[in-house]
Amino acid sequence: MKVLLVEDNERVTQFVVKGLKESGHTVDHADNGRDGMFLAASEPYDVIIMDRMLPGEIDGLAIVEALRKSGKHTPILILSALSDVDERIRGLRSGGDDYLTKPFAFGELLARLDALSRRAQGDGAQTKLEVGDLRVDLLNRKVTRGVRSIVLQPREFKLLEYLMRHANQVVTRTMLLENVWDYHFDPQTNVVDVHISKLRQKIDADFERPLLRTVRNAGYTMTAQD
Amino acid sequence: MRSSAANLALAYILLGLAALALFATPLWYAWRVTIQDGRVEILQADAQRLSDVFRREGPAGLAAYITRRVEAQIAGERFLLLADEDYQPLAGNLKAWPQNAPPESGVHTFNVNVNGGTSSGVFVRVDLPGGYNLLVGRDLARFAPLEHRFWYALASAVGFLSIVGAFGGFLIRRALLERIHGIRQTVSAIIQGDLSRRLPIQPGGDELNTLSQTINGMLDQIEQLIHGVRNVSNSIAHDLRTPLAELRSRLEELSLTKPAPEQTFAELEVAVADVDRVIRLFNALLRLAEIDSGLRRSGFVPVDLAVVANDAVEFYLPAAEIKGRTLTLVSDGSAPIRGDPVLLAQALGNLIDNALKYTPDGGRIQVEVRGAANQSVRVSVADSGPGIPDLEKPKVIERFYRGDRSRGTPGVGLGLSLVEAVARLHGSSLQFEDNWPGLRASMVLQLDTAAIAPAVLTPSSSAALRPAYPGRLATGSG
Repeated sequence: MKVLLVEDNERVTQFVVKGLKESGHTVDHADNGRDGMFLAASEPYDVIIMDRMLPGEIDGLAIVEALRKSGKHTPILILSALSDVDERIRGLRSGGDDYLTKPFAFGELLARLDALSRRAQGDGAQTKLEVGDLRVDLLNRKVTRGVRSIVLQPREFKLLEYLMRHANQVVTRTMLLENVWDYHFDPQTNVVDVHISKLRQKIDADFERPLLRTVRNAGYTMTAQD
Repeated sequence: MRSSAANLALAYILLGLAALALFATPLWYAWRVTIQDGRVEILQADAQRLSDVFRREGPAGLAAYITRRVEAQIAGERFLLLADEDYQPLAGNLKAWPQNAPPESGVHTFNVNVNGGTSSGVFVRVDLPGGYNLLVGRDLARFAPLEHRFWYALASAVGFLSIVGAFGGFLIRRALLERIHGIRQTVSAIIQGDLSRRLPIQPGGDELNTLSQTINGMLDQIEQLIHGVRNVSNSIAHDLRTPLAELRSRLEELSLTKPAPEQTFAELEVAVADVDRVIRLFNALLRLAEIDSGLRRSGFVPVDLAVVANDAVEFYLPAAEIKGRTLTLVSDGSAPIRGDPVLLAQALGNLIDNALKYTPDGGRIQVEVRGAANQSVRVSVADSGPGIPDLEKPKVIERFYRGDRSRGTPGVGLGLSLVEAVARLHGSSLQFEDNWPGLRASMVLQLDTAAIAPAVLTPSSSAALRPAYPGRLATGSG
């Protein structure tokens, strides 16, 4: 995908640009609000990474607001050193699609960018999700794998739905916490892992080919590929 | 520089003088009017008597009577004059008819020449039959001494008041300055760094004492906070040193030994985990600071505490099952409050997390949301663990405190501090009780009365309300 990074910190820029290029993405970079605004408005990007605080007169949120007002719907991930929940809400309210606090793991950033760019491609109206022989019917909330039907509790269903919607992408624990449970804090124990292993018991245990896989140092992915 | 006490004394003196003037003026006026009226009455009675003499004995009789009166009069206090129709004096102690006497009869005040001098007098002028004119008057100068005495008395009252006021002001000022000096000394000592000093409180409860007490209360709070901050910064330094020291030695070892790439990468991963520990600590501290600032209160929304508790229990249930603990929820039904759902969830999560950590295998953890007195709801997390000794109960919410038993358990020791901060943000506090055995941590929150309308939460109505969350209340057992 084609990514625009608007960020003034050199270390962060280097870290993100290198990582994205190694993952096979194209990256443009602007180190101030004016250039960032110009690039974001003139070039087509799959996703924009916007630092919250930029040197000069235009700050990140102002750019996001301006882009949204001019009718640009490119997904935007806001990067910020401000971790307050209120700041996060302000970031999302100004038109950002996701919010990531510095410092962050590159895997977390990549997973979120992936999720954002695919969501923009518009699979929101789907009523049936499929990964391999695992099928989820969102209308009557039925889950089947092969010919066998699987009974899930409501939260397990929500967890599976999120993983299926982001099939073939890496989903981090934080993303699951935020999107499945709406928890914006870090629980001290590995509660998410336990939920995943419970879900795995139900959808993967009796089958030869596991679909819900752990990605080391990053999170999980739902995939039928090898 | 004029001190405020001097200003105060001056103001009081001026006020006293104003009061005195307000008091003396009507008195003076009343006195004057009474005396004048009485005087006029006497003059009129006298004039009446002279008119009677005139009617009985004629002009000559009255002239003789007046002459007798004037001769018998000791002092020239009374003016008497009988004149014919051409104002030629017939009898009396005035040499001529006064030129400035008004032509009509009645009571008049004017000056007359007596013994070469001018004297002011009050006169009753009577027109007698046959064109004769009669003046009966009284010398006003006779009353001057009385007036003088009044003014002297007033002046001495003013003087007395001023002296007493000034002296009182001086005394007040001295007493005030003394106390202010005491306060200043204390404050100077506090500025120097001696936070244990308190403002002197004198017996009695005047405004200065009340103020001092309030300031002392503030100083208590500040001392406690500073103390807390000192402890926290010590603990932070300590808690940060451990992962940083590990990180440092790991990196140094890498740069010295230059091991094979695979081993290097493995070591680097552990190094990143070390850094993550530090970051998590900082995040927890920032979150605490954010909550403590009270800014989050602006983001309060209607929250159903029963739902928050239900979600939290549901969230931790699989983890509890794996660890072999029983986690159950007991709820009276809907519990609407105003609050921050994210923070409430985190607080409850921390309490459950804590209980999971300290409850032995096969232990029980029960989360309760129950109606309490005064339109409030008590949310509590009770475990069957070792509990906390009474002495340690206040300490566990201190930042970074960890009881002895928790050594070796992961966590940064901020969990309960966060719960306490969240409770405080919601106008409550975190309470610890014995659960026989175990610990019961609870907080009492005020219900949102605006939101309770149909489904009032009371302990007695619990059964009726249970269907409010069908299928969600029986969340599990281990």
